Order: sequence, then structure tokens, then C-alpha cells
Amino acid sequence: MSKLQQPYSWAIALVIAAILGPGTAGATSTADHSRFKELQRTFNSGPEVTQACLSCHTEAAKQVMRTKHWTWEFLNPATHQKLGKKHVINNFCISVETNQPFCTTCHIGYGYKDNSFDFTKQENVDCLVCHDTTGNYRKQPGMAGNVVTREMEFPPGSGNIVKPVDLAKVAQKVGKTSRDTCGGCHFNGGGGNGVKHGDMDSSLSAPDEALDVHMDATGNDFGCGTCHATSSHDVPGSRFAPTAKDTKGPLMRGKHEGRNPATCVACHDNAPHKKIARLNSHARKIACQTCHIPTFARGGVPTKMSWDWSTGGKMGPDGKPLIKKDENGHVIYDAKKGDFVLGENVVPEYKWFNGKVNYTLLGDKIKAGGIVPINSFEGSPDDGKSLIWPVKVMRGKQPYDPVNMTLVKPHTAGNDDTAYWKNFGWEKAIASGMESAGAPFSGKVDFIETEMTWPITHMVAPKADALACADCHQAASRLKGVPGIYMPRHSANEWLNTAGWGLAGLALLGVIGHGGLRLYLWRKGKK
Amino acid sequence: MNRKLSITFALAIVGLSAASAVQAYDPDWKRGRVYYRMVCTACHETKGGAIAPSTKTKAEWAAYIQADKHAKGKESLKFYVSQKYRDSIKATNKAAAKFADVPEQELLEDIKAFVNKGAKDGDAPAKCS
Repeated sequence: MSKLQQPYSWAIALVIAAILGPGTAGATSTADHSRFKELQRTFNSGPEVTQACLSCHTEAAKQVMRTKHWTWEFLNPATHQKLGKKHVINNFCISVETNQPFCTTCHIGYGYKDNSFDFTKQENVDCLVCHDTTGNYRKQPGMAGNVVTREMEFPPGSGNIVKPVDLAKVAQKVGKTSRDTCGGCHFNGGGGNGVKHGDMDSSLSAPDEALDVHMDATGNDFGCGTCHATSSHDVPGSRFAPTAKDTKGPLMRGKHEGRNPATCVACHDNAPHKKIARLNSHARKIACQTCHIPTFARGGVPTKMSWDWSTGGKMGPDGKPLIKKDENGHVIYDAKKGDFVLGENVVPEYKWFNGKVNYTLLGDKIKAGGIVPINSFEGSPDDGKSLIWPVKVMRGKQPYDPVNMTLVKPHTAGNDDTAYWKNFGWEKAIASGMESAGAPFSGKVDFIETEMTWPITHMVAPKADALACADCHQAASRLKGVPGIYMPRHSANEWLNTAGWGLAGLALLGVIGHGGLRLYLWRKGKK
Repeated sequence: MNRKLSITFALAIVGLSAASAVQAYDPDWKRGRVYYRMVCTACHETKGGAIAPSTKTKAEWAAYIQADKHAKGKESLKFYVSQKYRDSIKATNKAAAKFADVPEQELLEDIKAFVNKGAKDGDAPAKCS
């Protein structure tokens, strides 16, 4: 190299470095989507963006369309029940039937407004809802999963103006899924933040260690996909068929072997307690979550613990639907929905669970006078498949058909004459919903108590905050009432205790008597 | 001639570098969120109440940050983003520790991006801080 060339080569290198700059240094993706010509244009709808995505990711939509996120259907291989959001009834908003424009805000697609939705159109798949990194991709309820593409007032008549989503900007910044994207729906199940699950709410978007050791934003910073290791867009870990007991030890990432990677054991093994081996023997009967999630809803967001639809429809002094809030500003009564009980830092209930869940579906006969289980967790201390799990039990009172003795699917959401939230008439709302579902309805309505069980598995506390021995091994044990277990200090039998203490007392008396006699004889001998 | 050319080139490089650094930095709103919640909010909650991003508009946030005043003007706002401040609390604050080496200007841009997004008139108003 000549003397003249040297300074220029140095300068050229600096120019290149300056141009590349810090923008490329921290990137984790191998593709900068803002450089793709397909995305450098104006998009007028979500499906237009999807078509652009599919021009490169040719198989993505086909993969998505095979998943529950798309079909909202799941055939449980263990019970042969047809489940999925499309079919089940719950004791929150009750049912998707006829309420699609609102419920499908969380469908992974565009335009699922009723039962005529075309599940075969690839451009209806919504790529951005899972791959947005800007945090600006929002869908408004009532729009059947479509995005806002022009300025609009929402809710209508509120004066609140919602701006259109800049689809090109979002598309150019796509990336991996995150707690924010998954949480957009899963934190808001049941109609609001934290409502449904109890162990999932917006506090997990950037949690500290105390709230979740795995997702701790300043520590491990796990995303949902770290555990729910996804392949071909199919996210493992379903609540319809959970893995209650995993006996197979660690699961090498990348290997599937038909196993669920989203279990504790898949990373931590079946004997994770290295210092206190006795705890490993507990793990043969107790789910990890039982000790390591001492309470749920502890991120400052309350969860709904009960929902009584029977009290809905009350009007305020102004003649408008009544709304009541608690001292923290949380709604505890809404004329559209009835009364709620909220809970924070809730101690779970505990049940034997073997992974098999049975649902009460539309058409299943129910018994009057009792509590209808919306779902039942199967399990027992003797089947070899069960562990004691922490659960949230959601209690409710919801409409049913007292003549046909079935649960019902009411048409609640909407602005039409039969929607309960518009006319506050149950008969019309249920007739509409049941007709759409093709199910019989007698025209009579009554309310019945229901229970729905949810496994608690998120919000894993630091080990220092896990349950201590005394939480269970005492009279007021957390596991009180769980059948088939003997817990020292808790499972005391009065007769056995009396007999044991009696025998111990007699033995002590014998020792004292014998010792006294020996002492007496020794002293007597000395004299 | 060669010397003049070199100076011109050097000046061009300095200018390009500065422009590139400003234009190329893409704020990380999520990092801003973590710092805002775990440093700013954590302290405010113990000394005077929470500070939700949605309590101000984007313009109000921009003016507040630009003014660089904290504690009713007694302190510099930027000090609480500085490496010096992060060093002083990193033993007890995990967010300060995690972002201890992040350049101040970048972290400030991250926080701006978060409050801008979460502002009253932002794309995703954030009621909780």
C-alpha cells in the first residue's frame, strides 16, 4: 500500500463504520424488514400486510391455520370432547356464539365476525398481532379482529378518537413474539386485564423478580416462547389438555418427542432440589407450582373470583346502566354484566390433577340445585398420574334453560335489539344465541351457580418466597381438605394421638419409677 | 493539497458520524419501560406517589424532559438517568445494575420513547406506570 493510500483507507473505514453506526450493533434479528421493498408502501388493511408477508414467508399462514389460535377448535384426544373457544361455555363472558365481533378481537385473524368466516383465506391470518415490536398494534373490540385504518370515535359516542395504526411502520419492525404480544390477548382474557387467569395480567409485561423469577425483566427476562417453545407456529401448552405430571426429566430444546416443553420438569428435572433431598420426594406428589406460586394476582392487578350475571340490568338514578366501583376504582358492578368479586394476592385452592379435563358443553344435561362444574379436573391420590395442583376456582351464577336443563349461549355484545348489553332482556338474548348455535331453547330463563377451574402456573416466586414446611404441616394447612394424604402435624388422628401420648406417658412413668427404685435400693444398700 | 483534502475528509467523517449516531439510534421503548418502572416509579412510589405516563400528553412530556428539571427545579432530571446515578443505586436496584453501561443519551431516548407511547395522547396510553 502506498503512503498516499493509507490515510484514505483509514478514513474510508471510518465512514463505513459511521454509516453502519450503532443501529446495527444491537440488532438480534438477521433481517431488517424496513429494507424490504414489499413493506415500503402504504397498507390500507391488515390482509394487505399479510399478503406482503406471505410473498416471502410462503408457508407461514398454512402453519398458523393448523393451530388452535386460528381454528378456535380442539378435539381433546383423552375425552373426545370438541373444545376450543368456538365451542366451550365459561362463566366469564359465557360464549363466543353471536358475539364474534367482540370476542374475535383476540382471534389471530381479520374479519371473523360470524359463523360465515372463511377459515381458508390465508390473507385473513394476522401476522402483526404476534410479531409486532412497536407496541402500537392494537385492535378495538367490536371490529371482528380488524385494525383501525382511519381515525374513528371509539367507543361510538364517547368522544374518544382512536388513530389509525401505521401498518407499514409496524410491518417494517416485526420481530419475535414477546410477553407484550402474547399478553395482548392472554393478559386480557375474560374481558379485561387479569380477569380470567389470575396468574396472567399486564404486570407480567415487565415484571420484577419477586413477581416472576423467569420473566424478571432485569434478570432472566424470559419471553412466553422461552417455555412455550413453538414449532411451525404451533404453541405448545394447552389448558384444554394440560400436562399435569411430567416424569420424563429434562427435555432437550429442539427435540419434541411428543412432549410438552412448557413444564417445569422440561428444564428443572424431576429432582431439582440439590440441597434438601426430602423436597424431591414431595415433588412426586406435589406439582412444583404448589410450593413455588404461593399466591396469584400479586402484580397489582386484581383478578375476578366470582361473577354473578343474575344481578345484571340495574339502572342508575339517571336511568342509565349502573356501574359501581370499589375504593381502588375497579368495577365491581356493571348493569351489563352483574356483580363481581375481585381478588389480589389470592391463595390458590388445591386439587389432585392428572391432566384430564371434562367440560360441560352446550346440550349436556345439568342438575338443578347444585353447582354446575363448567370444567372438572380429574385426578386422585391413587391413579399414579396425578399431582396436587394449585388452581383458581372461578365461581359464578349464569343463565340456563330450566326446562331443557342445559347451559345457554346468550347474545350479549352488540348494538342490535337482541343483544343483552343493549336491551337487558335475557329471553331475547338467549333465543338469539341458541338459534345461532342450532340448539333448542324453551324460552324460560333461570340462573344457576357454576364453577370453573384454572391451573395456576405463572408468577413463579423466588425460592426464598416459596411455601415453607409450616404452610402445610400445621392444623390450618393449605392442603386442608385434599384427600388421600398424610401430613405430619396436620393429619392428626385424635384417638391415635391419645394412644401415642398415653403410651409415651406410661413409658416415662416406667423410667421414672424404675430409676427411683434403683436410687432407693442404692441408698438403702449404702446404709 | 493532500493536507487540505485530509482535513476536509476528516470533517466530513466527524459530521457523518454525528449525523449517523443521531439518526441511527432506534430507541428501545421496552428498555425505557423497565428503567421507568423500576427506577423512576419505584422511587416515586416511596416518595410522593406513582407517575403514570398517561398523566401527561406527548407535548408535556417533551417539554418536561427538555426543561431538565426535577424536584420542582432543584435538580437535573438527566442526573437520574446518568451513569453516575445508576452506579450509586445499582447495588440495590437491578434495573440500574442491568443498564449500568448503557450510554446516557440512549437511555434517555429509550425513556422518551416509552413515555411518548404511553402518554395521554400516545399510541398506547399507559395508566399504570
